[in-house]
Amino acid sequence: MFLLPILLAFRGAEADAALIVRLQRREPQALAELYDRYGRIAYALILRVVRDTGIAEDLVQETFLRVWNRVQAFDAQKGAVGPWLLAVARNRAIDYLRSAGGRERNNVEFEETDHPSLYTDMEPGILASDKARVVKAAIEKLSTHQRQVIELAYFEGLSQTEMAERMGQPLGTVKTWVRAALKVLRDELGAQAVSA
Amino acid sequence: MNCSELRDHYEMYAMGLAEDPERDEIRAHLDRGCEVCMPEMKRARETVALLSGTPAPATPSPKLRRRILASVGVEQRGFGWAPFLAGSTVMCLAAAIYFGGREWDFSREVVRLTQQSRAQIMELTRLNEAFALMNGADTTVTSFGEKKPVPKGKLFYNPSMGALLIASNLPQAPAGKAYELWLIPKAKGASPVRSDMFQSESDGTVMHLIRGPIDANATAALAVTMEVESGVDAPTGSILIAAPLAPAIQ
Repeated sequence: MFLLPILLAFRGAEADAALIVRLQRREPQALAELYDRYGRIAYALILRVVRDTGIAEDLVQETFLRVWNRVQAFDAQKGAVGPWLLAVARNRAIDYLRSAGGRERNNVEFEETDHPSLYTDMEPGILASDKARVVKAAIEKLSTHQRQVIELAYFEGLSQTEMAERMGQPLGTVKTWVRAALKVLRDELGAQAVSA
Repeated sequence: MNCSELRDHYEMYAMGLAEDPERDEIRAHLDRGCEVCMPEMKRARETVALLSGTPAPATPSPKLRRRILASVGVEQRGFGWAPFLAGSTVMCLAAAIYFGGREWDFSREVVRLTQQSRAQIMELTRLNEAFALMNGADTTVTSFGEKKPVPKGKLFYNPSMGALLIASNLPQAPAGKAYELWLIPKAKGASPVRSDMFQSESDGTVMHLIRGPIDANATAALAVTMEVESGVDAPTGSILIAAPLAPAIQ
């Protein structure tokens, strides 16, 4: 079920390069096409983080405007705009959570998404439909605690210390779960990403 | 730290979980374009990016697309203001037709009420005149037709104001016919003088006012015959009413 957004959003990934060129020419219709391609998945991602439809829509708008304003730094010849757009979407959502919760923002992540060139070397088909099945399989291989720390980190932007507090577990235990979870994902997904 | 020591930290860095000193080390490696760390970082970012597709599907409202495009100055075609404007135009036309028809109805109603009001004013004036004559100091009253079944009534006479004929049991004049009132002179051999034309009400009654002074010394009575609507110079029909003038007592 959760594979559908990926399938829909990245079906046209190969056309991203042309779309990026048009965005850089400031063609408003290109923004419409970008939204049609990635709007739903960006919305689903942000909604998963903030869990409020109105706020999610505001943050999706903010995400697309940010991409519109910073797309000049994107190298259209190198890859897909999707991973960068979704990174921006996630960071906008987590930034909102942190602001609402009185937590500090993670400056490293924000600095990175402000530099789309860091994402341009990703493969255009990184999130293609065949990858979606692998993602599901990889997540199913995680233990309950491993899956929990990945979700807390990715969808709530918690640091390991914050996760330890939230879960009531020693920091060392949480770090172990995190490292183990990321190793599973690296082994299961990393090879897929590289071979894409 | 060397690159192999950083290997377990690329995903943590990509996810925002890396802590110092590993975080600073990775940044330093990336800043100098480390040939080992750059592709590893690319792989780590791709791994993390794959997680973005895992939330349950959700669909934003259709308005969001319009909001985003409007924020960069794009006006939506099709479902923009056009349906609203079209709807407004249709409503305006319907309103114009409706209120145009209502205005026509109102105009007709105003004309009807004006005519009704005018008729009522005329009738009121006539009644005022009749009452004034009936209450006049010099007014005398004579009855007529008391011994006959039809018609009968009273004649109020005032030398300066005129006369008021009130009668009942007058048969309805057929089409093209009307009642004609005559002044019957006292002088022998003199012809009746045309006075006025009138119609009776549907119930056979009439209240007819003859305005202006009538010389009682020269007029013996008032008479009524039925004639053609346009009137005749000399009576042709039989006398239906004959009411003598009763001069005021000096």
